[in-house]
Amino acid sequence: MRVLIVGGGEVGFHLAERLSLENQDVVLIESDPARAEYASEQLDILSVVGNGASMPVLQRAGVRDARILLAVTSKDEVNLVSCLAASRMGVRYTIARISSPEYYSRGSVLSREQLGIDLMINPERECAREIVQLLRYAAATDVADFAEGRVQLIGLQVKPGAPAVGKSLSELDQELEGYHYVTVAIVKNGETIIPRGSSVIDAGDQIYVLSPHEEINRLFPLAGYEQFTIKRVMIAGGSAEGQYLAEFLERKGIECTILDRDRERCVELAEALPRSLVLHADATDLELLEMEGVAGVDGFISATGNDQTNLLSSLLAKSSGAHKVVSLVRNFDYLPLVPKVGIDAAVIPRMSAVNAILRYVRRGRVLTVATLKGTEAEAIEFKAREKSQITGKPLKDLHFPKGGVVATIIRGEEIILPRGEDYVVPGDDVIVFALPSAIPEIEKLFE
Amino acid sequence: MSLRRVLNVVGLLQVFVAIAMALAGGVSLFYGDGDSLGIFLSAGVTLVFGFLAYRLTRFEGEDLTRREGYAIVTFAWATTGIFGALPYLLTGILDGLVPAVFESVSGFTTTGATVFADTESLPHGILFWRSFTQWLGGMGIIVLAIAVLPYLGVGGMQLFKAEVPGPTPERLRPRIAQTAKLLWYVYVGLTASETVLLALGGMSLFDAVNHSFTTLSTGGFSTRNASVAAFDSPFVQYVISLFMFMGGVNFALHFRAISGRPGVYLKDHELRFLTLVVVGAAFLLMLLNLVSGVYPPTLGGMEHALRDGLFQSTSITTTTGYATADYELWLPTGQGLLLTLMFVGGMAGSTGGSMKAMRVLLLLKQTGKELRKHLHPRAVLLTRIGPHVVKEEVLANVLGFVILYVFIFLGGAMLLTLLGIDIVTAIGASAATVGNVGPGVGDVGPTDNYGWMSDPGLGILCFLMIVGRLEIYTVLLLFHPDTWKRRGSYH
Repeated sequence: MRVLIVGGGEVGFHLAERLSLENQDVVLIESDPARAEYASEQLDILSVVGNGASMPVLQRAGVRDARILLAVTSKDEVNLVSCLAASRMGVRYTIARISSPEYYSRGSVLSREQLGIDLMINPERECAREIVQLLRYAAATDVADFAEGRVQLIGLQVKPGAPAVGKSLSELDQELEGYHYVTVAIVKNGETIIPRGSSVIDAGDQIYVLSPHEEINRLFPLAGYEQFTIKRVMIAGGSAEGQYLAEFLERKGIECTILDRDRERCVELAEALPRSLVLHADATDLELLEMEGVAGVDGFISATGNDQTNLLSSLLAKSSGAHKVVSLVRNFDYLPLVPKVGIDAAVIPRMSAVNAILRYVRRGRVLTVATLKGTEAEAIEFKAREKSQITGKPLKDLHFPKGGVVATIIRGEEIILPRGEDYVVPGDDVIVFALPSAIPEIEKLFE
Repeated sequence: MSLRRVLNVVGLLQVFVAIAMALAGGVSLFYGDGDSLGIFLSAGVTLVFGFLAYRLTRFEGEDLTRREGYAIVTFAWATTGIFGALPYLLTGILDGLVPAVFESVSGFTTTGATVFADTESLPHGILFWRSFTQWLGGMGIIVLAIAVLPYLGVGGMQLFKAEVPGPTPERLRPRIAQTAKLLWYVYVGLTASETVLLALGGMSLFDAVNHSFTTLSTGGFSTRNASVAAFDSPFVQYVISLFMFMGGVNFALHFRAISGRPGVYLKDHELRFLTLVVVGAAFLLMLLNLVSGVYPPTLGGMEHALRDGLFQSTSITTTTGYATADYELWLPTGQGLLLTLMFVGGMAGSTGGSMKAMRVLLLLKQTGKELRKHLHPRAVLLTRIGPHVVKEEVLANVLGFVILYVFIFLGGAMLLTLLGIDIVTAIGASAATVGNVGPGVGDVGPTDNYGWMSDPGLGILCFLMIVGRLEIYTVLLLFHPDTWKRRGSYH
């Protein structure tokens, strides 16, 4: 399947990376020759230099054979035109990255359908949404919804001395009789493993657990966390992500303080956020943060446009006593630092958009997908069909690929966290946790 | 600034005034009180002056400038006040020029302060003229002229802005003349509705018409010595309370509601604030009066206390100035509350006077903002009315207005004390006239009148009434030297 990606920025590059790892034929259209060359050197893809909204360039990239076009430049208008052109030329699915609400909201002149665009993605908004999820479960480093939020995947870092430390998964299963959960991945020292019953949890491990929505909170004590709800949040940095986040929080009735060092921007924020307190201040001004009560906030999110500022500001907040600290991090190289310095979670602004787009690319069979930070593994939601190979046999007889695990079967209202003797029937939604190398093989099982 | 052009428009407006006088003459003729000759004579004099002033100063081309707009409006109100006094003089009802002008200015500015101790002895024609001046002044003679005379055109907006109360008048239609017309339609419609209701409530047609005129204009002249208290019908008093309140509501809002969107009443934040003030004060007054024993603690007494509280709080807040009770017999706290309400006024774009609910609301919000600023020195705080952010310039303008208003009120009171008037009366009279309320406290309370005051005192009050009606800036600009400089590159 040929996938065209217009725009080789952060979003485009990561999309190309993930899709090529899954054995898709990726063609990247990028106007900057240096960037295009860098992408084709780093990844197993073809790069075409040019404007993605121009017909000859699209033709050169093989638009006629493409099934999917992802227009993810930073310019809304280019993305719109590119999608419009592609859908006229027979591309089956088009996805546009759109940042101005004027184009995607209900008030827009041309609707999404009229433009022939299947999905519009606003990266900043997706990022803010992800942070909201993280705040919902204060201890979680990752949160992803499956089956319309009935099942959730959370990532937890196991604290030293937590009840789960030193136990194997099968021991835990016996201890937690009556709990519904599946441990789908463990990250030990930067290495992702899809665990078996014999895998042992150590302090400092990052574990990923799937559980029904209403039972999630019961899992936190296992990893050494108390249950907690967020009431007051401080956002350092009035970036687009920060503003969307404050809007979401305002809607949930959470008390919000947002600060930015640019006065003009502060006025804009104050206009857009009637219930938040807007401060004209620097994100690393400790004296001010303390005066405004950073010690008492339940959530602190550093959302400036600068990674160093974000990390420093998060550190200041954490050391002053902010409960849950989340930092925006753009540079992947900084990610390993995040847990080491005590920041609770990091969000990579562009990755939320990448996830949202990947989720859609696999549409039809795949309902939801989440990539997890610091791991190559993905959680994917498949729909079992009439003729899918996976149906009809107990899971233990299936020869399921080693890099993957069936994590949940959703049958109508019923949620099954499967054991070896459970089996899949047509119509089930199945959540699979897998390493990228195993994904094509798993996809075959569902065809 | 061209005086010629100013005189031209002012003259034209006097023609309107003359027509209105002739109408009052007609009423007088109908009742046959014998004063019709004097009223027709006044109409004739006014017509001749107006017509000559208009014809002799005709000009072509060029629209009115902003400065001319202010000058026209101020001079028009002063001139109208003087010519409007003619019927009182030429019928021989009053013989002093100053008291007659005072009565006329109090009429046109919808103040409702009177020099007559015994209004019931006045002939019908004069009573009608008093009420009619208030009705014309309520929506504004200039707004009327703009509605009727398309030639005022673009310059009309300058006049409109200068006369219509409130920080920024809103346009209902692209053309200002259409907007003015719609406002007058609403005004006439509401007046007619009230007349019908009052007549149903047992008032004579003459009383009903007069009271409707002075209710919707939030004027407050009554045909009776005891004001509305003379009509001992709860129905009549509740109807008048309601229509006083409607007079204090933005007429553009009425128009929107009448044209099929009654929901706008609930959504408007200024209206919510005004309602809160009026109803809150009404309940406070009721409680105070029940506790102090002005009314008996029976069910009937409670209804009476509520009715009087509601009537008084609406009457004073909307700056109408009717009375159903002598509030000078109430506790000092109740009187203090009413004196405070004199500074609220109706909504912007209503016929009510004083500072306007919107300005008071903005002032309160601004104060709250300053307090919050002390807690969060680095906070960027905006003032909002509902979802809308209020611009800093508007806030500065409001602050400036409020400061000027307070200065003028205090200055007026000081001048009155110079004339030997006691301080309570001086404060009451100054607040009641600059706010276009009418009755004040002390010797100008609801059962008193202004007839005892000396000519200089009445003159000061006339100035205060016009300054208050035209919202200070319009008048004070004429005292600024720049207004009188030759036209420069800007105007």
